[in-house]
Amino acid sequence: MAIIEVQNVSKTFGSKVALDKVSLEIPEGKIFGLLGPNGAGKSTLIRIINRITIASEGQVLFQGHPISEADVARIGYLPEERGLYRKMKVGDQAMYLAQLKGMSSREAALELKKWFVRFDIADWWNKKVEELSKGMAQKVQFITTVVHRPSLMILDEPFSGFDPVNVDLIRKEILRLKDEGATIILSTHNMESVEELCENIALINKGKLVVCGGTDEIRRQHGEDNVEIEYTDNLKDRKTVVVARPEVNATLQDLLDKQFTINSFKEVIPRMNDIFIKLVKEEE
Amino acid sequence: MNFKKLGIIIQREYLNKVKKKSFLLITVLAPVLFAAIAILPSVIMMGTKEEAKKVGVIDRSGIVLSYLEDNDVTHYIDLGAAADIDALKADLKGAGVDVLLSVSELDPETLSVKADTYSEKPLGMDTGSMIENRINDAVEAYRIEQSGIANLEEIMAGVKSNVKLRSYTIDETGKESISESGIYMAISMLLGIAIYMFIALFSGMVMSSVIEEKSSRVVEVLVSSVKAVELMFGKIIGVALVALTQFLLWILLTGIFLGVAMGFIGKDKIMGMMDNPAVPTEMVEGMPATPDMAEVSDMNVIMSTLGNINLAQIGIAFLFFFIFGYLLYASLFAAIGSGVENEGDSSQLQLPVTIPLMIGFFVALYAFKAPDSSLVFWFSMIPFTSPIVMLARIPFGVATWELILSIVLLVGTFIACAWASAKIYKVGILMYGKKSSFKDLYKWLKMK
Repeated sequence: MAIIEVQNVSKTFGSKVALDKVSLEIPEGKIFGLLGPNGAGKSTLIRIINRITIASEGQVLFQGHPISEADVARIGYLPEERGLYRKMKVGDQAMYLAQLKGMSSREAALELKKWFVRFDIADWWNKKVEELSKGMAQKVQFITTVVHRPSLMILDEPFSGFDPVNVDLIRKEILRLKDEGATIILSTHNMESVEELCENIALINKGKLVVCGGTDEIRRQHGEDNVEIEYTDNLKDRKTVVVARPEVNATLQDLLDKQFTINSFKEVIPRMNDIFIKLVKEEE
Repeated sequence: MNFKKLGIIIQREYLNKVKKKSFLLITVLAPVLFAAIAILPSVIMMGTKEEAKKVGVIDRSGIVLSYLEDNDVTHYIDLGAAADIDALKADLKGAGVDVLLSVSELDPETLSVKADTYSEKPLGMDTGSMIENRINDAVEAYRIEQSGIANLEEIMAGVKSNVKLRSYTIDETGKESISESGIYMAISMLLGIAIYMFIALFSGMVMSSVIEEKSSRVVEVLVSSVKAVELMFGKIIGVALVALTQFLLWILLTGIFLGVAMGFIGKDKIMGMMDNPAVPTEMVEGMPATPDMAEVSDMNVIMSTLGNINLAQIGIAFLFFFIFGYLLYASLFAAIGSGVENEGDSSQLQLPVTIPLMIGFFVALYAFKAPDSSLVFWFSMIPFTSPIVMLARIPFGVATWELILSIVLLVGTFIACAWASAKIYKVGILMYGKKSSFKDLYKWLKMK
């Protein structure tokens, strides 16, 4: 079942079209990758799902009904442009954001303390944000996104600006939250994380949906179907050759005819990055 | 509007500002200043009597010396008419005097003298005018004597006039009360300055707060939880409560400090000084006191004038015009703040909002000259200047219909501006990376 259905959503700013009749479904309990070059309209789509911006046309359904203000409390949003009040104490700030998501102050304090312990930053509760290192502030930011146990998390470039240790931490937390049943929308340029995490993706370019579907399916459809053959020639040099599937038999035959030794033979899994670049270029 | 969330926003905004050290500092220091301003003039007058000076006198006219009487400010020493001025001038200390007063011989034609003083330090004003008065007394007495007219002194005294204009105001019930226009002027200017300062200060605070949220990038997280309009009004209301808290504390603390200061210095002394402001008594001397002069002393006039002014009306009007003037400007400043990412960039966008505020301020400063003139009247109706100008008019009395009209216009304009500002704000806070212009703001206003 889809937790979010985007139906024919368009958004225009004056004469500029930011989104042009985009329709897609985000399946519940999965990690969904929202891809696209800068300025493609990803952030606009995310803001429409969040009800920060109103769509010029079309609608967004949340679990089957038009998304309402009450649903927003069940969304956790980590925007690309993010930050915290510099002069405010970490704990007060986290409490404030949690309460704005509808938590009672008791509940918020309880949950936040748990998260602070888990992220090993319990000592920072009474410090001001300006005293924190960037990595610490990022942890706080992540906690404030997820503390109210949202059923949908929208993470816009969650790894940008995080150091490798924190990237790993966040990656693990995302997978853990998914296992607990949450749906995650991951908007990113980072193709590695898309390949590792996302089961479904949508590619947006120039306000239009280019492709949408399961990651494997898209790979099959849009990746080049190649095979990599590694062999040792008569001079004992190890070499590899990549050939398109239709020519595999002919190539193999050729290698065997030359009395070369075949060491390995494997299907090349298309990299998401290449598909991304290919599809964007095709658009232009 | 989600009032629960609005409440949370107001609470954060309020506590955040009130807990700041600068807030505490201003809240405590300002009343100290107010109390000092109220008490200081009397304290200064008590403490700044000039030191008694030794005045060496060389009286060559022979008529002045007898008029120079010692008092607590001056002590006269006769150096003799034949003393050597130049030698004395060269060494005042050696002669044991602070001031050397030289009176010339009588000029038989003008029946007058020339008088000069020499001293190391400049002569204080009081001392100087006192010596001058004494010499004039002496010359006058000499002239009267020379005129040969019998009883001229009595005649002259009878001729001298000292009429004081007393202004009464008459209220609807026909009750007359004495008033002093200087006091109205002072109160009018004070109110104008105060409301201008507070509106500028607190609506500026709203703008900084908007810019802070935008530049720290916290705003997008916030608007994913609450509506932008709720955020904006939460902020405006939060700061308004800060302002009201500050007023209340100022009034309370000023009262307390005044009480403490009066207890410390002695209430009688302060009131006594107020009753008898140190008008050099010499100047009034010799003027026949009109029978009811004592009854209408300066202090009485001040008290009567203050009693005449409807303090409750001023208080209520101040609160009302401050709140709506602040709301109007705060919503405009919030819209401007949404367009910029740091305070330096805001100055250009601020200008069109600051100008009417300044105009209001300057009109208010001169409102006392003609509180009912058409210029002042219109500026007290135009919503952008009315809070300031109307406040400056109020001590002089304003017709009820004018007050109501002004308030209705102000509230109406506030609602319209708040609506427009909210639209601009909603779009502006999410625009990063470029300095906005008026064109941008206008574009955002028209956006759906």
